[in-house]
Amino acid sequence: MTATVDRVEDAAVRPPDDDRRHRLVAAIGVPVAALVVALVAGGILMGVEGVAPMSVYGEVLRGVFVLDGGLRDTAVVATPLLLLGLGLAVAYRARVFTIGAEGQYIVGAVAATGWATAEGVRGWPGPVLVLTSLMVAVAAGACWAAVTAGLNARFGASVVITSLLLNYVAAALLAWAVRVGIRDPGAFTPQSRPIGAAGLPEVPGPAIHLGFVLALAAVPLAGVLLARSRFGYRVEVLGAGKEVLGAGEARPARVTLAVLAVCGALAGLAGYVEVAGVTERVTPDFATGYGYTAIIVALLGRLRPTGVLIAAFALAALSTGFDAAERGYEIPSSTAGVVQALVVVFFVAGDALAHRMGR
Amino acid sequence: MNRQAEPRQDPGTTRPDGTAAVAMAGIVRRFGATVALAGVDFEAASGEVHALLGENGAGKTTLMRILAGLDHPDEGTVTVAGRPVTRLEPRALREAGVAMVQQHFTLVPTLSAGDNLALARPLGRIRPGARAARERVERLVEEHGLAVRTDVPAERLSVGERQRLEILRALDAGARLLILDEPTAVLTDAEAERLLAVCRRLADGGRTVVIITHRLGEVSAGCDRVTVLRRGRTVLAGAPVSEHDRTALATFMVGTRPSPTETRPPATARPSPAEGEPRLRVQGASLGRLNGFDLEADAGEIVGIAGVDGNGQAELEELLAGLAVPERGRVTVGGEPVPVGDPRARIAAGIAYIPSDRYRRALAGPLSLADNLEMGRGPRWRPPRRRRLRDAAEALRRWDVRSAGPAVPAARLSGGNAQKLVLARELATTPRMIVAAHPTRGLDPESARTVANRITEAAARGTTVVWFGAELDELFAVADRVVVLAGGRAAGPFPPPYDRTAIGLAMAGAS
Repeated sequence: MTATVDRVEDAAVRPPDDDRRHRLVAAIGVPVAALVVALVAGGILMGVEGVAPMSVYGEVLRGVFVLDGGLRDTAVVATPLLLLGLGLAVAYRARVFTIGAEGQYIVGAVAATGWATAEGVRGWPGPVLVLTSLMVAVAAGACWAAVTAGLNARFGASVVITSLLLNYVAAALLAWAVRVGIRDPGAFTPQSRPIGAAGLPEVPGPAIHLGFVLALAAVPLAGVLLARSRFGYRVEVLGAGKEVLGAGEARPARVTLAVLAVCGALAGLAGYVEVAGVTERVTPDFATGYGYTAIIVALLGRLRPTGVLIAAFALAALSTGFDAAERGYEIPSSTAGVVQALVVVFFVAGDALAHRMGR
Repeated sequence: MNRQAEPRQDPGTTRPDGTAAVAMAGIVRRFGATVALAGVDFEAASGEVHALLGENGAGKTTLMRILAGLDHPDEGTVTVAGRPVTRLEPRALREAGVAMVQQHFTLVPTLSAGDNLALARPLGRIRPGARAARERVERLVEEHGLAVRTDVPAERLSVGERQRLEILRALDAGARLLILDEPTAVLTDAEAERLLAVCRRLADGGRTVVIITHRLGEVSAGCDRVTVLRRGRTVLAGAPVSEHDRTALATFMVGTRPSPTETRPPATARPSPAEGEPRLRVQGASLGRLNGFDLEADAGEIVGIAGVDGNGQAELEELLAGLAVPERGRVTVGGEPVPVGDPRARIAAGIAYIPSDRYRRALAGPLSLADNLEMGRGPRWRPPRRRRLRDAAEALRRWDVRSAGPAVPAARLSGGNAQKLVLARELATTPRMIVAAHPTRGLDPESARTVANRITEAAARGTTVVWFGAELDELFAVADRVVVLAGGRAAGPFPPPYDRTAIGLAMAGAS
């Protein structure tokens, strides 16, 4: 009798091979298909506008792969997206749906710039300045994210709402900082002093700033953290259910705080890297929405470090390519944004479809 | 429920008009590669209480969901009151007079009884006033003798009341055939007996009542005929209950004659308490409905906690498992207070926890079996996945968790195997205390026996066990003494031999 019960219960489980294949196809197929369909739909829209889409796309590809510095520009744009996307991927695995990366990115950049340009600090030797600024950015981003965790733990406030609203506070902080707080007294327009020696050197060879290497190194680090550390395990359990975590492994509020702190630290780091590698100072229009684009990066990357790497490059290429195409064709500069938005729409729809078919 | 079957004068086999109230023929239902129902025939007559008996996974619920239009058969026909039903959809079957009360209730928690009825079957275009809604419930309550409070939202009703409200809602919709899925699983013995009496009255009024169950006691006590399913096939079709005794029914259900329930070793065989003070001491603990509860238990002792749900069981479970702080009083294990809020500290204190709600508190459904075994116990840096899976496979084999391997998600396990997985983790080392809340709930007899044996084995090695149970027979079989939790306080203890009447009275709140 034992044997028959065994067989019945085994049969109740779907063949695992079949299932794994289906999940793999959905995991990779849906983002890729979403990208392709979005490009086709974007092409139709351009056709309506009277532009030949194929030649625009040709120019996009040329802009990324052929034109001078195309790949370099792509890598530079991909750097903050990658760091931000990794942090969000960790948070979303735990089902902590923060939208606060943008604010943490701004706060990290402002804090690091404030530190590196402060009286008495700015004369320090380069490596020390880089290291301390980096730590200041990481701490600032983490603290900014911890506000959300605290509000959630103490008052049960929604992570989505508080993290989103804190972005506006961060934007106001940026506006104040460049006009009053860390303003360059010698400049006519509102902006901070240049960070000077705290800037990141370029890597010899591809001529990309060191931050790119940092971002690349963060990918395997995040992978190991998720797969092999107790923290990574708790992220997965929290994602499965707060109560299970609280009854069997750790205090949910602490894990939520840790998750948000990691997310904020990576976002703060991204902010510093952007200042130190690209803009060299903080200006009123420093925030360009990378923190929101990174949400798409994390989701398209299926919340996996390698996936985030690929998605960051894909979206960065889209942006640099369209920048190049814009110069040659009569297309509005928002076209890249439209295509990105279409990617999201088709991705979400495709996911729902794949989920249904999987039943 | 434990009474012997009284032979009924009219066992419902003789039908007044010769047609079955419902007939299902050749029902086949497949889920992927699994055949849940392999050509099942089922019929029930008007005026009878019909038991649908079978182990977990035998296909009982699937068959009845098809009858209620909640699931679609791959093959087969359904005839209600002599007319074949062509469109097997909820609406068509509801109109034909079929209603099902599912295991998980479908009331809107924030609405009162009256509003829930109005939502299911609106009488006008607008929502009725509070008074009209209340009167509608009261009329039904009076007509059918099912007491339900009308002035509180459904979420504040007791489980028994919610179930009665579900039945009222079905009757309000004009149900002629009422299907109850494991109706007594959440009820105390006394409530279950009352429910069976209600079913009998409904049947006497000409309705058909089908009770899905795997409890033999209530089949003999309250049903006219019984259909037994085993692994998706009918093994006994509509036989009068009086023709088969419990052993025979159990044999039909599980296929072979079940071994007699193993009795645990006598108390003398277990180590006597070495410590001067009791292993577990609960002093005047108050929290929510728990109001000044006292309990002491020694090493190796199994204390059964009986009582109607909602008398403080949930609160006591949380206190013992370190999930909540008592408002007053204290809870100590081995002289130390139970660590609250930190599961790892609880485990370090030697407290094993088998929660009443497996997938809410014990298992992370999407995580693999191996990952679930590691919860609360793994090192700071985890070994490589391959090694984790290998170690887990070993534990799964030892604890007889039947699955497609340690990498499958825990959500795929059947109830019995999921519970064995919880035991494999919680009893991996010999704990000082086991908090077992309804550890056999929803399990088939074989798994339930395994689980009970594993826990009593741990007690034989000196672990203190607090066992929350809904079935008195089970508690009597495993416990050294029974404490009744009624109105937030302890009544008893009741040592063996157990006085069923006294315990029943204590559960009803009569001291």
